[in-house]
Amino acid sequence: MGNYLNTSFLKVLILIYSFLISNVFAEDIRIKINSGQVEPLPIAIADFTGKDGKANEIGRQIAEVISNNLVGSGQFKAVESAAFIAPPTSPSVRPNFTDWTPLGIKALITGSVKNISAQEIEVEFRLWDIIAETDLIGLRLSVDSKAWRRVAHIISDEIFERLSGDSGYFDTRIVYVAESGPQNKRLKRLAIMDQDGENHQYLTDGSFLVLTPRFSPTTQEITYLAYFKNEPRVYIFNLESGQQELLGSFPGMTFAPRFSPLGDKIIMSLAEKGVTDIYTMNLNNQKVTRLTNSPSIDTSPSFSPNGKKIIFNSDRGGSQQIYIMDANGRNVKRISYGKGRYATPVWAPKGELIAFTKMLKNVFYIGVMSPDGSGERLLAKGYLVEGPTWAPNGRVLMYFKQEAPVDDGKSSNVNLYKIDITGFRETRVITPSDGSDPAWSPLIPN
Amino acid sequence: MIKSTFISIGFHVFFIMVAYYGLPSFRVKEPVELPIDIVEDTPISSKTSLKLGEKKVKKVKKNKKEIKKEKVKKMSPPPLPSKKMIDKKNVELKKKKEIREIAQLIKKKPKPKIKKVKKISIPRVEKKPEKIKNIQKQNLAKGILNTLAKPQKNVEDNKKNKKQHNNTEILKKIKKIAGNSNRQIQQTEIKLSITDINKIQNHVKKFWNVSYAASEVKMVITLKISTSFDGSIKSVKIYDKNLYQKNKFYRATADTARRAVLDSSPLPLPKGKEKKFENFLFDFDPSFINNY
Repeated sequence: MGNYLNTSFLKVLILIYSFLISNVFAEDIRIKINSGQVEPLPIAIADFTGKDGKANEIGRQIAEVISNNLVGSGQFKAVESAAFIAPPTSPSVRPNFTDWTPLGIKALITGSVKNISAQEIEVEFRLWDIIAETDLIGLRLSVDSKAWRRVAHIISDEIFERLSGDSGYFDTRIVYVAESGPQNKRLKRLAIMDQDGENHQYLTDGSFLVLTPRFSPTTQEITYLAYFKNEPRVYIFNLESGQQELLGSFPGMTFAPRFSPLGDKIIMSLAEKGVTDIYTMNLNNQKVTRLTNSPSIDTSPSFSPNGKKIIFNSDRGGSQQIYIMDANGRNVKRISYGKGRYATPVWAPKGELIAFTKMLKNVFYIGVMSPDGSGERLLAKGYLVEGPTWAPNGRVLMYFKQEAPVDDGKSSNVNLYKIDITGFRETRVITPSDGSDPAWSPLIPN
Repeated sequence: MIKSTFISIGFHVFFIMVAYYGLPSFRVKEPVELPIDIVEDTPISSKTSLKLGEKKVKKVKKNKKEIKKEKVKKMSPPPLPSKKMIDKKNVELKKKKEIREIAQLIKKKPKPKIKKVKKISIPRVEKKPEKIKNIQKQNLAKGILNTLAKPQKNVEDNKKNKKQHNNTEILKKIKKIAGNSNRQIQQTEIKLSITDINKIQNHVKKFWNVSYAASEVKMVITLKISTSFDGSIKSVKIYDKNLYQKNKFYRATADTARRAVLDSSPLPLPKGKEKKFENFLFDFDPSFINNY
């Protein structure tokens, strides 16, 4: 009897064992998906609801700005609101997902605007995953009603980050050189605007020529070059206070001063006796240090994000190419080996890419390559495309493009463009007048 | 976590039981071990074994019935012949009484094993007619005849082979149980072909829309999937919840993978193998973005 029980028990154990093994095997089926699509994500941005006409109008405008931002990034495709089956709802109301799935959308943004006082509004939004039928993120912001556009940019950044993983770049500004007037008497002013071209304003009056503005990576400051009585001077413009500071007069300066990653130094190129070399200037004690010393023209220096390396272009090899060196000027090494000439290298904020201007057979290109010179990709081309600048998330580049001159010999338009690093979506940034030499700000601190 | 704990407990219990019942040293000392002492004494009787063999032949000629009886005795484990030899030669052993007791115990030992065989086999024989009665009422008589015939044969066979296969039958049946279960697992594993997997892969990847930022995810995103028989997705769970909470790139890309799976419902499961996909894993590898 005892033995019988033992055998039965053993059999039961074997059956349990077999069952468990079969379960383990069942879980062991792994199917690898190692390819997919990289296409704009279809989204719906419903007008933000409000209790009165003013709130409704602000809500509609916020939704429009968010839509423009996200679509402009090239990563999203907004479905027309006319196609919506369901009316916009409050962000606190769970939407009926079946109303949205037939439109093919994957994410829905709902929001509301509430008047807190005569001047203050409360904006709330929620991002819904239509397929997973869940909410992904929600936020409530109280701001001055005049700042609704900035709220829209902040919301755009939140949505962009949640859906792509990358930091947004919508709550940023662009400083550039606004150009106007005839070619022989060109007026060049320093101007600033939101990254979408709104809130435009001039920072200088055009009484002297300005060139190559650059944003500080740490503060809301701009450094730029101005020719005062034909003498190049480097200024720092504080956007918060509106004050300017003269850093110094540098006869023979040939190209842009640019901030170091910590914002404590600027790097620039100075010409002396026909030789152009790269220098740094400590902003605390204004001490100037020479980094290169060659009989060639070394220009357009740019620090790596960690501040340990510098890229620049030089003709020391016979043609204009991109070189890399340590922050102290040692270990100079050429990294560009493609056909044509290379100029204006700019290190991406994450450090994985370098943007540049390339000239080949009378055509200009904007391209990117790895810091070791590999993986060169050309993103945009034109009669004259130049001066790339990175968005703070390193996914979008802005540059200026000049069209070929028309037959009458007059100067053609110069405009600002932005393009994502895939090169698939190039969009023009509308400015009141011609614009060149853009520089992208870091995210505006809250 | 809970599942893996049960699996671990199951394995531990199983191996302990196997060790307990499979390894003699783990069991309580039983009389089985004692014959080993006798085996040690066999060299003393080795000279006589040949003679005993001759005598056996003679006995076969004389009485067949007696041979049968002896054969029955021979069915027991190897120590038995040595006892017979000892008895027949009248070798003076110091522990004669003990040997007899041991011999009795040894004789008793196979009996319960035979009982086990019967108890296992009988229910199987009896179940068949019951099923036939319920399912095939029209062929009831035939069914009974068939099922009666089989057990009769079995009983006869058992009688003949009882003493020869007492120990091996249990082992065979255990092997059958274990062997069948293994075969079933192997068979289901083999049945999933590359085309089966490719079909699902090609179906799902059409729905996976990834952002360029997915290039920041330097690992595979694993999703736990459970499906219905028709291939529709019952649930999708992101495997690494910790990373999902901490890493914004992982979170966004895992969401795209989840949407892809839900969008691709129903999955084109291979016919006849749907059960295999009740619970399985998808590994989404976003590294292809680097080549875009």
